[in-house]
Amino acid sequence: MNLDILIPDYVRSFQVYTPSRPDHLLMQEYGTPLLHRLNNNENPLGPPPAAASVIAAFSPARAAIYPSGDSYDLCAALGERFGISPDRFLVGNGSCEVISSVIKAFCQPGDNIITADKTFAVYEWVAGFSGIEARLVPLLDYAFDPQGMLDRIDRKTKILFVCNPNNPTGSCWTNQVLIDFLEKAGEERIVVVDEAYREYVEDPGFPDTIALMDRFPNLVVFRTFSKMYALAGLRCGYLAGTAEVVDMVRRTSVAYSVNVQAQQAALAALSDDAGHIAATRALVKEGKMFLRGVCNNLGLETVGGEGNFLMIKTPINDMLMYRRLMKRGMMVRTMTGFRFPGWIRVSLREMAVMESFAGALEDEIRSIRK
Amino acid sequence: MKQQTTRQKSATTRIPFDMPFLPLAMEFIDKGARGFGYNDRETGGLVLAMEELFSFYVRQAALGSALEIELEDQGYRLALTICFRTANPDMRAFNLTWNVNPDSEESLDMLGPMIAARSVSSLRLDFGSDEQVALHMTRDRDYPPAGAVALPPSGASGTLRLSEPSADDLRHFAAMAVASGAPFIPPFLLRPGMAADMLDAGHLNAILVTSGDWIVGGLLWRPLTDTCLELYGPYLFSDDPDDRMLTLLLDEATGRISHSNCRGFLRRQGPLAGHERFFDFLGDLELSGISGATANNTYYYRQLKEESGGVVYCGGALSTFLGNQYDRLCLPRQVRETVVDHSRLRDASVLAVELEYARSLAIIRPLCAGKDMAANLTAHLNLLRGEGIDNFLVEINTGCFEDTAFAAALEETGFVPRLLIPDAGRGDLVIYDHSDGTLPS
Ligand SMILES: Cc1ncc(COP(=O)(O)O)c(C=O)c1O
Repeated sequence: MNLDILIPDYVRSFQVYTPSRPDHLLMQEYGTPLLHRLNNNENPLGPPPAAASVIAAFSPARAAIYPSGDSYDLCAALGERFGISPDRFLVGNGSCEVISSVIKAFCQPGDNIITADKTFAVYEWVAGFSGIEARLVPLLDYAFDPQGMLDRIDRKTKILFVCNPNNPTGSCWTNQVLIDFLEKAGEERIVVVDEAYREYVEDPGFPDTIALMDRFPNLVVFRTFSKMYALAGLRCGYLAGTAEVVDMVRRTSVAYSVNVQAQQAALAALSDDAGHIAATRALVKEGKMFLRGVCNNLGLETVGGEGNFLMIKTPINDMLMYRRLMKRGMMVRTMTGFRFPGWIRVSLREMAVMESFAGALEDEIRSIRK
Repeated sequence: MKQQTTRQKSATTRIPFDMPFLPLAMEFIDKGARGFGYNDRETGGLVLAMEELFSFYVRQAALGSALEIELEDQGYRLALTICFRTANPDMRAFNLTWNVNPDSEESLDMLGPMIAARSVSSLRLDFGSDEQVALHMTRDRDYPPAGAVALPPSGASGTLRLSEPSADDLRHFAAMAVASGAPFIPPFLLRPGMAADMLDAGHLNAILVTSGDWIVGGLLWRPLTDTCLELYGPYLFSDDPDDRMLTLLLDEATGRISHSNCRGFLRRQGPLAGHERFFDFLGDLELSGISGATANNTYYYRQLKEESGGVVYCGGALSTFLGNQYDRLCLPRQVRETVVDHSRLRDASVLAVELEYARSLAIIRPLCAGKDMAANLTAHLNLLRGEGIDNFLVEINTGCFEDTAFAAALEETGFVPRLLIPDAGRGDLVIYDHSDGTLPS
């Protein structure tokens, strides 16, 4: 078999993402009896109570039956929540799946997408292994640069991806910035706003993207049940757009990709999220303030805004810092792969864990400076 | 990372591996190299290497076997690969030392691979699967040395901008690096035309910093192994308050390289103040220079991927060395003590030698383990010293049994593990140097 002939160049040259290994192996390799994951921006509170009950009550017999192929009930509940028709949602196996569907629906080789250089990498990856050029615009002051993105648009630009709030910097565009951007971008291309962390945002100036779709039918929004709703392990996310756009994107996505338990849990989570969101926001706020204080005292620069994470500049390279913290049972995300070498991103968790993390960080910084 | 461009051209042929076909093989190289536009000297070096290697290895070829020849023009150099299938199960024949008596002048003249190594820019022997042997060699184009160029006036300041150099920019930058008198200038920068052609061929990457009309600094990198890059620089031509240029260059390069297939990169030049922000310190390696002066290389490393576990099976001094290094660098590895059962080894070991006459350096790499490992290492040392080589490095892969099996023999023959380069080969690479000038008896 000659793979060289079979494989397109853009697939061969693609750099695969290697997920981290299971905890038990990492603990063995780093010689640590415990491991706190502060690397994936998960919610330590777990799913909202109603979702937790649904998961606990899940009947094995139900596993034998296919799920709803288009997440029927979940779309209906989302429609009700946001006051729009259920057919304006497309649910995926995590929002990562809908990223792929959108790119497949709108782009062909020769086209390009535009996003930032220092943001969630999946837009760039999917474009890369699909033979679509990803144009990466440098952040401006740690935030997406609207004019920089507009300047890169050409005839072949099909999608502009904006991560709002941005992972990993936590920067946000206000409603007005987004409106100006949409006006200038024009209707000949899709503007995707990834709102994976929108439920963490309390600022009333944050865009109401679903309402904006009436005025900007080329606007598409991604949301996920992985972050605030703590269903990352079940993989469930969705996009919302106009009925016409969603109808097109649906053509490029595989029905039945969202499992039955994920659909049930997401449905329940939506029905019971007020207390959960408030409690999570409080936990994140406390954790962020605490960790900022710790870093201030240590003389470490931080970057953070909205979202359940904080970036910390480290006095040694981030990879070595990661390994040193791993030996202490603290798993953070290195930022080299986000093009922020020398920084780590720490997910904000319950205070007990934040305090252990602070202890480990202080020890390391002290021993580095010795 | 830049893709290799279509400038690459190659000619291949397959001929019987038999003495009467030697002239044909030589003609092929001669006409091929000239066809690609190389001059007499460049062409002659490869033709001579072909003659020596053909004559030397034809005895080991399987009867009736073929020799595959590929000559590739990479712009700044010709790359020649010759492959054949062996018949001779006596692996000793693939050692440089085969049939050589270091005390006899005549016998040294018979040393085909050695002569070949001298007439090309690099030569490397590899065992493939299926009893395939491959000899890879390159011959660089001859380039004129750097001419005089102006450096930015001191005190010049302006907004710093990163830029991706064209070949002409890089040619100019290389001349500036030479003019700046920076230590640790790699050979391809000493010949600016070579750097420019390497950039065109996609074999070198660079970013520059400019300020106004001036190039004020730059950083280069190229592949060292399949999984590891080597970084050259940063070369800075003006004052750099607060390390702004340095940080700009290193952060940008790191971000870019992190999206390649590489697991890490290495910098082995002089010490870099404040290196901790960018690198792990691996250690120092001293090489004695031709002129008698010693050159000290400081090895820095930067890992690029979070996932980097592994198990190493080895024993003795190597396992102690690895244990210490893994601990110091916080690398997640398990070292499992093992003793090599010599009775289960082949009779003969094989070593590949890469010679760099310019640095009086031999890099020795195990190709297969055998009962005679210590004697084989000693024979190589003797032979290479006779050839005037002063520096010996041995490179072993921690993920490869044929390599780690050499640990005891290396110790016995005076080699000392000095450096660990994480994830740079099959597993990690360990570099040994030779402890002192005295030969083991
Ligand atoms: C900005 C952003 N979008 C999307 C995702 C993916 O989420 P999901 O679990 O829904 O695929 C993440 C997860 O880290 C994220 O940070």
